Amino acid sequence: MADERVEVVLQVNGREHRLEVSPRWTLSDVLRHQLGLIGTHVGCEQGVCGACTVLLDGEPVRSCLMFAVQAQGQHITTVEGITPENGLSPLQEAFRAHHALQCGYCTPGMLLTAQALLDRDPNPSEETIREALTGNLCRCTGYQFIVDAVLAARGQGRGA
Amino acid sequence: MAEVLRPQMMGARVSRLEDPRLLSGQARFLDDIQVPGMLEVAFVRSPHAAAKILSVDVEAARHLPGVYAVMTHQECPVMLWNKESYKVGQPALADGEVAFVGQPVVAVIAENRYIAEDAAELIRVEYQAITPVLDMRDAIQEKPRRVHEHAENVFFKKSRQTPGFDEAFAAASHHLTASFRTNRQTAVTMEPRGTAAMLDAASGRLTVYASTQSPHRMREDICNLLDIPEHLVRIIVPEVGGGFGMKAACYPEDVVVAQAALRYRKPVKWISDRLESLESDVHARDDIHDVEVAFDDDGKIIAIKDHLMADGGAYPAYPWSGAEGETGLAARVLTGPYDIPYLATDIDCTYSNKTPLGSYRGVWGPIASFIQEGLVDRVARHLNLDPADVRRRNMIRKEQFPYRNAARMIYDEGSYLESMEEALKLIGYEDFRKRQAVLRQQGRYVGVGISVFVEPTAMASSEAGEVGYESCTIRIEPSGRVTAAFGLGPSGQGHETTMAQLLADQLGVPLADIVVLHGDTDSAPYGGGTGGSRSGPIGGGAALVAGRQMRERLIKYAAHLLEAGEDDIELGDGKAWVAGVPDRSLTIRTIAQTAYMDVSKIPEGLPIGLEITGRYLPKRPVTFSNGTHIAEVEVDVHTGVVKVTRYAVANDCGRVINPTIVEGQIHGGVAQGIGAAVLEALRYDEDGQLVTTSLLDYLLPESTDVPRIDVHHIETPSEGEGGIKGMAEGSLIAAPAAVACAISDALAPFGGMVDTLPVTPDMVLKMVQDR
Ligand code: FES
Ligand code: FES
Repeated sequence: MADERVEVVLQVNGREHRLEVSPRWTLSDVLRHQLGLIGTHVGCEQGVCGACTVLLDGEPVRSCLMFAVQAQGQHITTVEGITPENGLSPLQEAFRAHHALQCGYCTPGMLLTAQALLDRDPNPSEETIREALTGNLCRCTGYQFIVDAVLAARGQGRGA
Repeated sequence: MAEVLRPQMMGARVSRLEDPRLLSGQARFLDDIQVPGMLEVAFVRSPHAAAKILSVDVEAARHLPGVYAVMTHQECPVMLWNKESYKVGQPALADGEVAFVGQPVVAVIAENRYIAEDAAELIRVEYQAITPVLDMRDAIQEKPRRVHEHAENVFFKKSRQTPGFDEAFAAASHHLTASFRTNRQTAVTMEPRGTAAMLDAASGRLTVYASTQSPHRMREDICNLLDIPEHLVRIIVPEVGGGFGMKAACYPEDVVVAQAALRYRKPVKWISDRLESLESDVHARDDIHDVEVAFDDDGKIIAIKDHLMADGGAYPAYPWSGAEGETGLAARVLTGPYDIPYLATDIDCTYSNKTPLGSYRGVWGPIASFIQEGLVDRVARHLNLDPADVRRRNMIRKEQFPYRNAARMIYDEGSYLESMEEALKLIGYEDFRKRQAVLRQQGRYVGVGISVFVEPTAMASSEAGEVGYESCTIRIEPSGRVTAAFGLGPSGQGHETTMAQLLADQLGVPLADIVVLHGDTDSAPYGGGTGGSRSGPIGGGAALVAGRQMRERLIKYAAHLLEAGEDDIELGDGKAWVAGVPDRSLTIRTIAQTAYMDVSKIPEGLPIGLEITGRYLPKRPVTFSNGTHIAEVEVDVHTGVVKVTRYAVANDCGRVINPTIVEGQIHGGVAQGIGAAVLEALRYDEDGQLVTTSLLDYLLPESTDVPRIDVHHIETPSEGEGGIKGMAEGSLIAAPAAVACAISDALAPFGGMVDTLPVTPDMVLKMVQDR
């Protein structure tokens, strides 16, 4: 059971990282604890809550359900990666303007799921937005202001 | 030049100051606390509901590479026991027996969580299972046995009745009985619980990072339990990913982590996984109410008799059992917004072999509202009256305030009837009844449920403790910028913004010049923390009191330096000026510079510096918020699935500090209420195994389960500071009842009424078939 290590190369937010990891470490743990990208949150480790959502080649995935070694060769985007160097992205701004977060724990996962939706469908309906967000649980907001924020961010691109 | 306009921050829809860090992934939650050499903890937990521990073998675990230490009760001989209230306490790590599935037995401390979990699997605990106590009614009768040999199962018992109850009850022309059941639920914060602890190298003090709602209470609990003086312990509360009352308690794991840091002189951290959360976060709402109601021909309710029972679980949560909170307060506010003169209540809270019951948002309220509104609807149906009309006939009227209810609670003024009429308008009640009739013809079953609620807030004692006041320390720095510290413990409520709004008005500085500190016992003045809907009214009150004192001091400075009368000084936009002569002005920064650097110019009688602590203790022991929720549902009588389709809220929490934040909290509470009404239940099997151990089994509302919620504000100010009332719980108090009543209304053609929460598809199908 000793923790053997293997080398893995991860492309995260446009940077390449060469890391020694244990094959059983999840992607969420490696992002958080090896790379210090603490914006990726872990809410269940059961693949249900969506707090750990990151983008893998643009598609939302649950980083708690993947081993870091499985992400080799793909482009990983975390919340840090959609945050412009200065200020916030249009989607993040919309979240703030519409009070789409309270405790903020689900927020990075929500942002990434919503961003992926807007990337593939710049003009989704409320129903489409709600459908897309079903895999991201929020215990604070009742979702309405999150939906409002995504509606408001339509057609604005990723910014920066 | 026109006079500088001072924006009124109170009541403004200000965007939150805490958002940028949360949106960009920079916020630090508990698991983001990382220091070199930090060890991690995994717990071995009881797989049995009730068992004697015959032996514990930790040797193999101890020798696993990467394991630092293994702790049993011997290494952490601490009891979480409030001896003044209960005959029973919970050992931090099990001592010879276990009494619920998930109870911590052994703690493994290792280099990282993976290794700690590997080692935990190597630990052999030999148990001898005993018959678990699982049924609440049986347990009250001491059957099949006592949970704790030396203590009766019923640990809290209280009877109370309005004088003249029996005569009034007997004299009424109609009587109905009903039994209401709410099933176990829990808060499920998206951030699980967690604790980290370490010794400060320089001072030797213990620092505990805790994901808690009440920093000072946590300090007191840790100090009392581990016998350390308070000045040697510092609690730091990082970002908290939801609390909802569940993070108001001190848990065994908190104590074990602190003890490990002390004992091994290493930084130690424990983060709960979701299975552990569902097993060991305090549960809530495990209640049965056997109720009788007496009323007259017009639907005027005369008397309610209620036997309230709650299953408190294996031990009282520390320091209070939620069972006591759920029943004790429900018994005092069971008549809700209605003028019901007679009430008789008997309470029995029992131990069982389940997870301890603690607080979850609303505590007593969701249960009491479910019963109160369920009774009103039963009366209406029995007399064939409109449910809204029966409510009108029973509602406490404006001229009755301050109103003393049948359990001697004093209600301050509210807008009970007004809120209901407003909500009926929002939902389009008349129109709905027509729609409902038409749809029924087509075999579609829609219903509305009306839930008029009262919400006792800012109580002298609550889940946040017995501290009835709150404190605010304001320091205006030499730059003129403001630091304000509170003993609050926010977990998403946005106190950094709302408290700054209140201070900005008082101090006449821009919002961006204020930083609100909280959650660190080294910087915060002593306070009760966040819980029981007290931070707005009491914390906000402290901000206003301290703000006013500082304002007076600034005015004295300005009058002195500008050579004007104090009455003529105005503050705003970071400046002080002489009224009507805006050119005769100086900046707050200049005042601050004087106060700290140019001290010879300080006006007579004022101290050096600009620092003040103000405290606020409300005169009333409670202030009541109120409002009305109306849910519209559609019930699929073939599948049993309930869909909440429309939702309206008229909410009155006194003067609103930030309407957007209030609406956000209402939305969240309604979503939790929908969960409580149709989705969420913690279920045990006949052996006492918790079977809902993941979020696939314990279902939370998703974005498609919650409709748009239309919120309307009414403002009936409290008599306290700023006219503020609390509001965090009302939405979850009202929503389950609204949805339950709507389901009963939708299924009226089948005759039954909802008496159990949550309403599952099976229950709906049974109601349909039972016709
Ligand atoms: S933490 Fe990955 S889905 Fe919940
Ligand atoms: S904002 Fe708290 S869980 Fe979504």
